[in-house]
Amino acid sequence: MMRTIALVLLLLSTLLPACATRPPLEPPVIPESQPLVFSVPQVERRTLDNGMRIYLHPEHELPLITISLMIGAGSIGETESPAGLVDLYAASLRGGGAGLLTPEELDQELERLAANFSVSGNTYAVNGTLSLHRDDLEAGLALLAEVLRQPRFDSRRIALYRGQLQERVRRQNDHPRTVARRKLLRALYGDHPLGQAATIASLDAVSRDDLLAFHRRYAQPNNLWLAISGDFDPQAMMLRLDEHLGNWPLRPFEPQLIPPLTGPPEPVVVAVDKPIPQTTVLFGQRAIDKDNPDLYALRVMNFILGGGGFNSRLMQEVRSNRGLAYSVYSSLQVGRHLPGWFIAGTETRTGTVDEVVELMREEMRRMTEEKVSEEELMIARDSLLNSFVFAFEDPHKVVSQAMRLDFYRYEEDYLQRYRERVAAVTAEDVLDVARRYLLWDRQVIVLVGDQSSEAGAAARYGLPVAGLSEE
Amino acid sequence: MRINLLGRLLAALLLLWSVPSLASAVSLAEKVQAHRLANGLTLLVVERPGAPVFSAYLTVGVGSVHESDRERGVAHMLEHLMFKGTDTIGTRDFQQERPLLEAIEQTGEALDRLRRGQGGDAVEIAELEERLADLQQRQRQLLITDHLAQIYARHGGVGFNAFTSRDLTSYTISLPANKLELWASLESDRMRNSVLREFYTEREVVREERYRVYDSNPDGLLQESLIAAAFSVHPYRHPIIGWPSDITSLSPAVTRSFMERYYSPVNTIITLVGAVEFEQALTLIETYFGAMEPGTPVPPVTVAEPAPRGEKQVTVEFAAEPRLAVAFRKPTLPSPDDYVFDVLSRLLTRGRTSRLQRVLVQEKRLATSVASYSTPGYRYDNLFVLRVIPRHPHTVGEVQEALYAELEKLIREPVSPEELERVRNRLRVDHLRSLQRNAGLARMLSFYQSIAGDWRYLVDYEEQIAAVTAEDIQRVAAEYLIPRNRTVAILQKEEN
Repeated sequence: MMRTIALVLLLLSTLLPACATRPPLEPPVIPESQPLVFSVPQVERRTLDNGMRIYLHPEHELPLITISLMIGAGSIGETESPAGLVDLYAASLRGGGAGLLTPEELDQELERLAANFSVSGNTYAVNGTLSLHRDDLEAGLALLAEVLRQPRFDSRRIALYRGQLQERVRRQNDHPRTVARRKLLRALYGDHPLGQAATIASLDAVSRDDLLAFHRRYAQPNNLWLAISGDFDPQAMMLRLDEHLGNWPLRPFEPQLIPPLTGPPEPVVVAVDKPIPQTTVLFGQRAIDKDNPDLYALRVMNFILGGGGFNSRLMQEVRSNRGLAYSVYSSLQVGRHLPGWFIAGTETRTGTVDEVVELMREEMRRMTEEKVSEEELMIARDSLLNSFVFAFEDPHKVVSQAMRLDFYRYEEDYLQRYRERVAAVTAEDVLDVARRYLLWDRQVIVLVGDQSSEAGAAARYGLPVAGLSEE
Repeated sequence: MRINLLGRLLAALLLLWSVPSLASAVSLAEKVQAHRLANGLTLLVVERPGAPVFSAYLTVGVGSVHESDRERGVAHMLEHLMFKGTDTIGTRDFQQERPLLEAIEQTGEALDRLRRGQGGDAVEIAELEERLADLQQRQRQLLITDHLAQIYARHGGVGFNAFTSRDLTSYTISLPANKLELWASLESDRMRNSVLREFYTEREVVREERYRVYDSNPDGLLQESLIAAAFSVHPYRHPIIGWPSDITSLSPAVTRSFMERYYSPVNTIITLVGAVEFEQALTLIETYFGAMEPGTPVPPVTVAEPAPRGEKQVTVEFAAEPRLAVAFRKPTLPSPDDYVFDVLSRLLTRGRTSRLQRVLVQEKRLATSVASYSTPGYRYDNLFVLRVIPRHPHTVGEVQEALYAELEKLIREPVSPEELERVRNRLRVDHLRSLQRNAGLARMLSFYQSIAGDWRYLVDYEEQIAAVTAEDIQRVAAEYLIPRNRTVAILQKEEN
């Protein structure tokens, strides 16, 4: 059975050239579709005797294997150590040589296998990915085990990566959006590791001993997580992993302490002058962590406000209806252990900054005062529910997602219950969470662009303008 | 049906396992099913196991290279407007809307004429601006804003987007497997009945996009300046989005005319990858697209770039740390030399053991990153570009000197068999990786079908790469990687 959307069938006159050369047409049918049957894919969870967590998801279409790894420590520990330590650790673990191999030899071995191997640090973990051809699994696993168990942290390589990270600091003001992001996190979290960025001096302060100490403390089998997808047999894979990593002795270790946040941020305007024709505008505030039961209502709220692309109010009002920006969005960054942040952002030309700031604020205010329409709610819910299947499109994402959910201690049935929880959100719930969480007139506002017309202003948008410290 | 599908896949997989080299190309050849409709529309389908989702690419083989000077930026502008709906999507009542649309166009065009200084004064301009705003406001009452995006979102679509390149324009989305007919229905309506509404508002959006990608972005600006300098007459020299004055010169009439000329079945490729059955897909595509008139093919660009007469240099002033881009003119596919450049690119910059990574980044520590790629398009002869980020306190000049020394070495000494084998292996495995995602595979197949005229270009690719010799590399380096053939662009801060 076909169901047509309720639109009038129109006969087109020749007045509009776009239609003149074409025959009169019926409105497109929205065909009734068969219900989509699918279940959350199951991932095999194993543990080696020394406590190392293994997640397996074989998939045989292509002769490739991908391994993700997590070491359970990140920049959240950079209260006692200099900012940038984890970045330098990650780079030096990857590139500093291992076992009998010099850095150059390790690079050559990996390149001989056409392997992709990268390691990077984030707030709570050091993350790595190794991609291999199936035929190179044995050689690749041997190299990975060497890197994890016997990294050399070659001094020349540490100097190389330190220099690269310092050059990144030197270039941190090249792109307005990265400036804005850094200034905003700084304003929201202050000296807490969540607000810190590495500096040339802080990178100078990281010693090779610091990297070794970090490795000794945290790269322990029972603090290490592996997620593997691709063309392999799970039994054979477990035997190989046991052979390379199983005899790594279990050692007691202390997890990183998570420093509590300091007092709430001051609502201010941070204005950074940059001679460009377009200003990056960011609104930001602290938000929630993953254990907050309001998470689902907030996700729906964020979708309707600015997370739903062209289906969001910010996009429709700022871009589609007024042409004031190309990109405009809001984003809810759910914190894993500490409250994350809510951001709304755009870029607009210098002359329309005030208009856009008022418009975006007005949309946020409206969220806190009026119920969203049933239609908006339906679009948001349908979209979140019906696109859920895409969380499982990529076999490697299936297994690495399972690992990450466990690593961050999400509820066991988080994925299973996600849809019913989103489906249960009502317009009242959306209004309620908007009222409680969306601080539309007390957010930090960051502007990066041409400030010449507002030079010296003490207040903007009813907020004090913060003095700028050079970074 | 399902068993047959599995059977076919199993056959493809067995083949994959039993032929170790060239496995990917063979399996790809097995997996792609192609059909050309009577009206010229090409359908490519790859049935894949995995999640019940598919990616769809609808590609029109027209891009900014096909624009005339008087309509620069129109291919991209049109891409934006193709999201505004049709005579039944995006509007509550098209009959009521139509007179407003016409009035908006007339007012907008009159306003543009006045702004370009063809008579009129400030008062007149202000009056027309007010009238335009009023008309737009009245039209908005009749619109369902971003309706197409709304329908796709409700049905679980993700990645609803489009991109315009110099060579082609693609409209993309990924959907749950049970939404193929929905896609065919909406996209055939979009192809036939698009109404280019909200033109003047969208033109402002495109101006903002230009500010964002080029005028406020050092990397975009450097790229734009490099390409504009490298080509003197070929339309590849112009940015896809257009120069600022191009964008403000675009009109609804010009945009509509471009659409009517080129958006037709003979220029269209549909690629579906994922949980799709070929026979079912073919039936649906026939049903929804089969009755359309074929249209006329996009005519080739006849402008030819004259032979280079010496190095070109351009300096771009922008508030950012210095960066360098060096371009060498080269032939495009299917020239044998184009394959050699693919090898050269890996040899020079792919991975940590590549030459420039080793020498510029690790040994001399003059730079923090190096990259190479072909640009700005592939239908016509293009550029091999090297980009380098210098490391303070080293200068762009020092980087250039070291870079050119490495290129001269390529001319002087043959590449060792080991190095060549490593690069071939890299290309082989990277090629497998490029097949992993539905959307990536759809993009690649659409691209080669449109540019090379046949997706099977990919099947021969590995053989061609395997045939590249050390002598080929030396010859190509000597022919192209020389100062006369070079354009250098440097971005740096304004000198006080």
